Amino acid sequence: MILNRKHKIIFLILIALLPLLLGIHLFSGEINIEFKHFWNAIFQFNDTNTSEVIVREFRIPRMVIAVIAGGGLSIAGLFMQTMFNNPLAGPYILGINSGSSLFVAFSVMSGIPFLTSNLGTISSSLLGAFIFGMIILSFSYLVKSHISLLLIGIMLGGFASAIVSILQSLSDPQELKQFTMWSMGSLQQVEFEDLSIILFFSMIGAISSLFVIKPLNALVLGESQALTLGIHVKYVRLALIIITAILTGVITAFCGPIAFVGLAVPNLVKMIFKTQSHGILMLGCFFIGSLFLISCDIIIQLVESSIHIPINALTSIIGAPFVIAIVLKRLA
Amino acid sequence: MIEIKQVKIGYKKCLFSIEEIHLERGKVYSLIGANGAGKTTFLQTIQGNIPAIQGLIKVDDKNILEIDRYTKSTLIAFVNSKFDGIEYLKVKDYVGLGRIPYTNALGRLSLLDMEIVNKSIHQLNIEKLADLNTTELSDGERQLTAIARAICQETAIIILDEPTAFLDYANRKIVMEEMKKIASSLNLCIIISTHDLELCLESETEILIINKSTKKMQVFPKNQLLKSELVEIGF
Repeated sequence: MILNRKHKIIFLILIALLPLLLGIHLFSGEINIEFKHFWNAIFQFNDTNTSEVIVREFRIPRMVIAVIAGGGLSIAGLFMQTMFNNPLAGPYILGINSGSSLFVAFSVMSGIPFLTSNLGTISSSLLGAFIFGMIILSFSYLVKSHISLLLIGIMLGGFASAIVSILQSLSDPQELKQFTMWSMGSLQQVEFEDLSIILFFSMIGAISSLFVIKPLNALVLGESQALTLGIHVKYVRLALIIITAILTGVITAFCGPIAFVGLAVPNLVKMIFKTQSHGILMLGCFFIGSLFLISCDIIIQLVESSIHIPINALTSIIGAPFVIAIVLKRLA
Repeated sequence: MIEIKQVKIGYKKCLFSIEEIHLERGKVYSLIGANGAGKTTFLQTIQGNIPAIQGLIKVDDKNILEIDRYTKSTLIAFVNSKFDGIEYLKVKDYVGLGRIPYTNALGRLSLLDMEIVNKSIHQLNIEKLADLNTTELSDGERQLTAIARAICQETAIIILDEPTAFLDYANRKIVMEEMKKIASSLNLCIIISTHDLELCLESETEILIINKSTKKMQVFPKNQLLKSELVEIGF
């Protein structure tokens, strides 16, 4: 990873923007909160002070999950795009999110106490993401065309959501409500106590990502060239699916499905940095992905008093036209 | 460098056999044979990607099938018949990917690596392309860039699978001349599969030919065969 002058300048701008937007995000909720309560909420928490409770229970978890979900999904998308040599790949379109949704639906509606708990949901989500990741990986050996693989991903998604709707019709109102809330996608369901487990999995994802930088750089040349450069392509693909499942699974468990971030952001990052060096691209995906999701959530918070926009709806409204633009640019 | 003795080449069924051939450093070998004669299978077999049906292939005195992937990547480099260029990948960075076997876990190029990248680029006289994107090059320039990447891998053997198939006459000539220069200046063993009989005769390379009637591979030193004889043996 060699940063040229331009990359350094872009990163400096991104590093300056992040705390700025994080600050705006913290203060843009419906209720005005003084600065000192933010400080107290973290270091001298007093659970009788309403402002501090709001900060600790709502604002901070929401901000942290926005950063992790935006950055994590973008990095997962980058992995999928390089691994399948397909600029339109991403965890959502390839059905990896759908795997999470399906398994979460099973566990929430199973009525089994462990499975309906937080830890149960996370485990199911991780497992679902991994299984669907392996399915799409197996299909990638059978189909040659980029479009076919995307179609298979979309079909997997359709298949999963069909089963989910059958499960929904079978479930009782309480479970149905819990699952429907989850499936709308939201950054607001995370609690302060969840943050440690989210951070734990994100750190695993982040650290293991460092070790796939070099294989990813080689995979840009395609599988056969990567092999002649001494890369164990089979293991690398498995590692990439596992990391993607961890990132997507944990994020989906807490936020529900979030579309288009993983597809659009890596493309945007490549346009901005104009490089195939995956160390730079990953860092870029983390910053731009989290800035993107934070900005989306700021918009949602600002209009919250009059209209409730699910995060998934907003990322799709912005992401879908961008992806169409990419398709047009490639075909033109 | 490459030692092939009593070997049968093929994928499931035997395509042709080799009694004894030694491929040496400092030479360019043109691999000639009819379509389906087994050129690609041969190239895959000497890289150890598919096993020989019978017999042993030794590279640097070691059985190729027992050489681990990492060591192999420091021994043999491979150039495809076509490199389409990759978006946002500059020539310099592309050539730098040849250093992957030598870099640390994060893939960072050291100063020494950078120097080797520059040397490889210089070797093929493509300095003026170094900062261009690989998608902005002509077919000929892209093929030279791909060869620079293979040189950057610093292997003793470079295998090229029909590198001139998509090039015009001038560029084919340039590629062959460059390969000859490199083989002697860097003392490499270079194997090029090709359909271009005139070109390999003109460039005076050694000839590896799959005999159509005996189903055996034969090796001829340069300037020994005429085109009519090549056609007679191989087609």
